[in-house]
Amino acid sequence: MLTDPKPDAPSWRSPSQINNARSFVLMSCGVLLGLVLAGYSLFTARSASTLIVPAEDVALVNQQPVSRADFTALLQTLYGVDWSHATKEQRRKVLQDMIREELFVQRGKELDVASTDPDVRGALVNAVELEIAENAITTQPSEAALRRYYAAHQDRYVSEGIMRVKDWVFPAASLAQLPSAAGALKSAIRDPQALARLDGRDSGRTKGDEFYFAAKIHLGDELFAGARDLSEGAISAPIRMADGIHVLEMEKNRHPVPFDFAAARAQVSTDYRNQAIERSKAGGESFLRKRANVLVADDLR
Amino acid sequence: MLRSLQRGIPHYRTIAAKGCAMIARMRVAVVVLLSVLLGTAVFAELRYLERNLLRADPDALPANASLLRFAVSRGEALFAAHCAVCHGLSGSGDPSTGTPDLTDRDWLYGAGRVTDIEKVIDYGIRSHNSRAWNLAIMPAYARPRPNPSDKNIQPLSPSDISDLIEFLMRRQARRADSDSDSDSDSDSDSDAASRGAALFAGPAGCYDCHSLDAKGDSAIGAPNLTDGITLYGDGSRNALFMSIAYGRQGVCPAWATRLKPAGIPELALYVYSLSHPGAIQHAH
Repeated sequence: MLTDPKPDAPSWRSPSQINNARSFVLMSCGVLLGLVLAGYSLFTARSASTLIVPAEDVALVNQQPVSRADFTALLQTLYGVDWSHATKEQRRKVLQDMIREELFVQRGKELDVASTDPDVRGALVNAVELEIAENAITTQPSEAALRRYYAAHQDRYVSEGIMRVKDWVFPAASLAQLPSAAGALKSAIRDPQALARLDGRDSGRTKGDEFYFAAKIHLGDELFAGARDLSEGAISAPIRMADGIHVLEMEKNRHPVPFDFAAARAQVSTDYRNQAIERSKAGGESFLRKRANVLVADDLR
Repeated sequence: MLRSLQRGIPHYRTIAAKGCAMIARMRVAVVVLLSVLLGTAVFAELRYLERNLLRADPDALPANASLLRFAVSRGEALFAAHCAVCHGLSGSGDPSTGTPDLTDRDWLYGAGRVTDIEKVIDYGIRSHNSRAWNLAIMPAYARPRPNPSDKNIQPLSPSDISDLIEFLMRRQARRADSDSDSDSDSDSDSDAASRGAALFAGPAGCYDCHSLDAKGDSAIGAPNLTDGITLYGDGSRNALFMSIAYGRQGVCPAWATRLKPAGIPELALYVYSLSHPGAIQHAH
């Protein structure tokens, strides 16, 4: 008796036919392989390593690059030669020095040298500050931002005043004999005989044109305050001081003048950048403080 | 029976349609494959050139036409993105902001070699980077502390500054005269110039950076004061007064960590090409 042949099950070898068993086995193999790789990576945790030295480096020391630019700079510093003129021996020496340095730096990290060496701590602080402020350092402020900064801090951008002033000094006893009227006092000072009669003399504290700050140092705060607002050719009222009576005769007085933006621009740019750097550093410090767990001793709380 | 046979044999139109679809799919596959191959080839070529650029001796690069072309074409875009904001797109600088002209061959730092330019780009000038060029600043002699980091530098009086300006103007005039083979002397005040010379070589300490002959020192970025090329302003007495009285300290950022490694030589070669247009023409 003939029976209908059982319909052929799809062959697992034929890729043109769907085969559930094959699909399941392949999927299981894939899952297994993935798990093995993940497990291997997990339990042999190492950073990706390479056997190829990147073109921008001259060596990899425990996968840490030694920069080609630094190599060239050191070659130049040590031997005063560029790459092409350096001998093989010089290149080898510089490379070995750099590898040695990198090895010691890595060992220093392992030993946590920063926790004990103040120089290393200082260098690390500087390096991190630089890293934090990198954006502020490299970003060129817009012209509008600089102008706004200039407008907000205009008082910083002024020229130094210049004055030429004579400081006449008289004995304290001659105060009563000094003319009270400015015109008469001026005449008395300019008349050598009258000056001699009053026993007056040039104190010699100032010499020729002086910037305001220098005049202030030479005259002292009190006399400078008396001189600052005198107009050219004017004479001050007698000023009583420990060493006698002083009379200031202003020959030239150029008050500080605000710089316009163009004249102040370079300084504005520097100040703006410095402010941005300080702000970045403060922001970075604030962030670090927020995420840190700082415990302070009882007696310093 | 016939019907069932007909059902098993596809119609010739169906076969043709399937064939066309297959050919179309193959065409697409070939195009995609070729595109991928082309892309890979271009990428490999770029990586190869980048690698050669990084591994070559920087100072020998201008003589390598293919690398120079490659670097300059890419450096131009980097320059426009990062440097043009100060130096201008043409690189000619701006005396009103003290930005140096990169198209002349007057180098403030180094001798204008590609390695010197690379160093400036890598670490900058007064950029707060410890490897930056930051040995010297121009003190502000009209301030109580001209250089806050050097207490030995004392302020000058207005007349001292005038004398120094007279000395410098005279030096530049002499230079101009010698350049034009003219015997005419400057009409500047020679007494003031003599006093200025004494100040320059003495108490003002200018010689310390600008050297005794006032020709500067590119090892610390001190400009040559005799060549008539002025970094700030137009070289007038007023501009000189502003520089001496209120100081100068230009800044160039450090790009070592901001650009990818190949970007540094690319930018350096582009900057080099600005002052050596012949080199790039030769490369083309």
